[in-house]
Amino acid sequence: MLKIENLHATVGGKEILKGLNLTINDGEIHAIMGPNGAGKSTLSYVICGREGYEVTAGSVFFNGRDLLDMSPDERAGEGIFLGFQYPVEIPGVSNMNFLRTALNSQRHYRGQNDMTAVDFLKLVRAKAKELDMDPEMLKRPVNVGFSGGEKKRNEMVQMAVLDPCLAVLDETDSGLDIDALKIVAKGINRLRNADKSILMITHYQRLLDYVVPDFVHVLADGKIVKTGDRTLALQLEEKGYAGLDIAGNAA
Amino acid sequence: MKLYLDNPQIETDFEAVKASLPGLADLRRQAMARFTQSGIPGPKVEEWKYTNLGFLARENYLPAGKSGRQAEIRQFFDQAHIKDIPGPVVVFINGYFNADLSSLPEEDGVDFSVLSHNPGNFHQSLQASEGSSSLNDLNRALVTDGYRLDIAPDVDVEHAVQIIHIATSGTEMASLRTRGQVKLGRGAKAAIIETFIGAEEARYWFHMISDMVLESGACASFGQFQLQGRNAIHMTELHTEVSDHATFNHVNLQLGAEISRTELINSFTGEYASINLSGAYLGRARQSHDIFTRINHDRPNCKSRQLFRGVLDKGGKSAFQGKVVVARDARKTNADQSDKTLLLDRGAVANAKPELLIYADDVKCSHGATVGEVDPDQLFYLRSRGLDEDAAKGLLVEAFVSEVFDDLENERVAEKFRQYAAGWLRKEGAL
Ligand SMILES: Nc1ncnc2c1ncn2[C@@H]1O[C@H](COP(=O)(O)OP(=O)(O)OP(=O)(O)O)[C@@H](O)[C@H]1O
Ligand SMILES: [Mg+2]
Repeated sequence: MLKIENLHATVGGKEILKGLNLTINDGEIHAIMGPNGAGKSTLSYVICGREGYEVTAGSVFFNGRDLLDMSPDERAGEGIFLGFQYPVEIPGVSNMNFLRTALNSQRHYRGQNDMTAVDFLKLVRAKAKELDMDPEMLKRPVNVGFSGGEKKRNEMVQMAVLDPCLAVLDETDSGLDIDALKIVAKGINRLRNADKSILMITHYQRLLDYVVPDFVHVLADGKIVKTGDRTLALQLEEKGYAGLDIAGNAA
Repeated sequence: MKLYLDNPQIETDFEAVKASLPGLADLRRQAMARFTQSGIPGPKVEEWKYTNLGFLARENYLPAGKSGRQAEIRQFFDQAHIKDIPGPVVVFINGYFNADLSSLPEEDGVDFSVLSHNPGNFHQSLQASEGSSSLNDLNRALVTDGYRLDIAPDVDVEHAVQIIHIATSGTEMASLRTRGQVKLGRGAKAAIIETFIGAEEARYWFHMISDMVLESGACASFGQFQLQGRNAIHMTELHTEVSDHATFNHVNLQLGAEISRTELINSFTGEYASINLSGAYLGRARQSHDIFTRINHDRPNCKSRQLFRGVLDKGGKSAFQGKVVVARDARKTNADQSDKTLLLDRGAVANAKPELLIYADDVKCSHGATVGEVDPDQLFYLRSRGLDEDAAKGLLVEAFVSEVFDDLENERVAEKFRQYAAGWLRKEGAL
């Protein structure tokens, strides 16, 4: 599904990713952990094509196609979703309008027609309900005045509606209370199937109790420095990065 | 350098056309004499520093001919007319009332008159804003028609009155000068929607001066939509007096014209009254919008709010000059002013000059003026969800402008406003 080779990327003239390799196959769940400032969010932005994140070497292929040639919206159309570490507030645009425009944009990209208003409404209501989101919130402007946890849950509603092939979730668990974490985890597990993949960036192994990953990677100083199964997360929880001889971000 | 610029030809030309204008010969002559004394405001006149009128001094824009092609007129009418509002419609073509397309108000307590049909009213309306500026005098000298709307006390006018001004393609190098006069009696309530629309290619100068008086407890909603052709010069002046416990709501949309100038001059004449001015101006290459507001807080306990949003694409220009004056005894004044402009391209220019002059104590006044670009974080967020760049920008711009009409009471008017704005954004080359 996703194949990243020797990825080097700079932000504001500073090299953040320094030769990163990562392969995610269909149906796999990968978790990435790592010290603050290691480059985890940077990786997620590079995968999604954010402006200002310049790839200086290496390649990123998605289902055999070169992602680096595509605009962010084309990548979304190809089926990539980014759950933001800090979801953005958009005053004046209702959640509903936003979701419908997003979904139909992706459908157009794939050569499909608009979803009918009735079908769309049904879909969104059902997904909001699954994620325990008050339907009233759908009428509100995107993320405006939402609490930290509400914003994260809103990301999950968007993911559920857009139904991506690859979800990159950047600290979706941060800021969630225990009940919300369980609900969100259920949402992620619902997406899980043989031809979908998930890349979860997290600081806490707690999420991994609910969404069990196939692989856990440690990203430090712009590279994947260690890969293991879920027990690696437990080790990290116990000993910390220093305890596993992984340097914090020296920058 | 002279502050005002002469039009050498205007007096002779005026002599030639004045007989064809409807009545008021003395008034016109006096006004023309005053105008030729002063002339066109030049670039050194403070109020006009953002809009250079020098080119107007080189040409005389004499009154346009009355008629035009029926098909063209019909098309503009259909475009401007809000059919969902079943109220009266008043149509002016090239500055003259048109009976065929109009259906005048007939409700009890709603007194409507066409100025050219009623010399008494016409005369009086020209005196309403006597001598305030040289352009005002030019309007007075060459005015062709206008309307007067008088609402009796306590009458709640059922449907909004629509007024449509059409400029046909036969208005090349001509002027359209009209007047409006509106009075709401004590406790009356009315809504007016005025639309200005005209031929895409013709170079014409539209100039309208309106006076509005709200008596005690009256409530007026007044919307103006400017959709003039791309070579037009569009100027409106609206002078409003608001008495105690009265409310004036104005919403303004500037979309068309090469040069637009919107003057909104407001005074409180009683206490516990409120004035809300809101507007959006959207401009692209070769376009310039100039919004000029005054709010004179001459009485205590009044409230004013101004909210303007501009969007400029490459080559577009705008100016917002908003002045609030709080007189010495205007205690407990609450005045809020906000003007924000979004630049879609570095090659656009927005000027803002908010002015707050406070001579009273115990007042709450604020103003904010910002010029910015589309937020890159918001743009990326939308694009990461599949919206292409144009769609994402369009959505953000619509949201930015929507603040202006979000709290419009009349949903049909808000919808029309939204449609116009969205149409502008979708127009080829907008983003
Ligand atoms: N515009 C920028 N200019 C310079 N450095 C930047 C810029 N944006 C990010 N960085 C730096 O890039 C590094 C990696 O940031 P990134 O957000 O990818 O870290 P992270 O691993 O997600 O950290 P966290 O766990 O705190 O979320 C940090 O040192 C950060 O300061
Ligand atoms: Mg991060």
